[in-house]
Amino acid sequence: MAAVANTEKMICPSCRVEMNHHCDKLVYTTDPQDAGQTDPHLGGFIEEFHTCPKCGCGASRHA
Amino acid sequence: MESNRSLFIPVILGTARMGRMSLRAAQLVTGELGKCEGVQTELIDIAKLPLPTNDAGEAIKQAEFSANMSKADALVVVSPEYNHGYSGLLKHVLDSCLKEYIHKAVGIVGVSAGPFGGTRVIENLLPVMREIGMVTIFWDVNFSSVQKVFAEDGRLLDESYIRRIDKFLKELIWMAKTLRQGREQISLN
Repeated sequence: MAAVANTEKMICPSCRVEMNHHCDKLVYTTDPQDAGQTDPHLGGFIEEFHTCPKCGCGASRHA
Repeated sequence: MESNRSLFIPVILGTARMGRMSLRAAQLVTGELGKCEGVQTELIDIAKLPLPTNDAGEAIKQAEFSANMSKADALVVVSPEYNHGYSGLLKHVLDSCLKEYIHKAVGIVGVSAGPFGGTRVIENLLPVMREIGMVTIFWDVNFSSVQKVFAEDGRLLDESYIRRIDKFLKELIWMAKTLRQGREQISLN
């Protein structure tokens, strides 16, 4: 089953404001820890990238 | 709305070889970048990064380099052409980060002793940059016959490079501003 998209906004640890989700990257992995998060249609998992509109810092998480 | 924060655009010197001529090219580009209003820069020499070689990828992330890449809005990579390719150490260093690069601009400066000015190493770096999430610009700087471009004391002998670097940096800065706006303001969904 495909992982359910995480719709919760990331919060900048410095500014405490909502970060902007601007990128998804498909990551292929051999790490068994990531096996449960692999999307069978895509063949890997999605890593989301977020940036703070106030300070510009970036963060990422598994979708 | 354009951010009033300065852009941070470090220059990566992509070789550790002794006697490297690319150092002078990197110093020149860093100097010109430092003259641009609203831009902060520094030269990152990969020869000085304490990265191990008994592992690779993000497992060997080095804190200071990672912090610099996170802070960066764009990069300049100065790479010599060795056997038509880039140095193994440059790839080793680039591979140590990923999320730090996403949706940031990169401009590539090729350096060679021959007449082609690193055009082949630039072409070889493009797919790498794409895969690590960076956005390449369509201006390059090509230092051909680099041994004739600088005097022994490092002085630039061919002033036409200043004009070429200026065009290259203007494009890079525009792309850096545009991508910063995108990262911070434009949602994927």
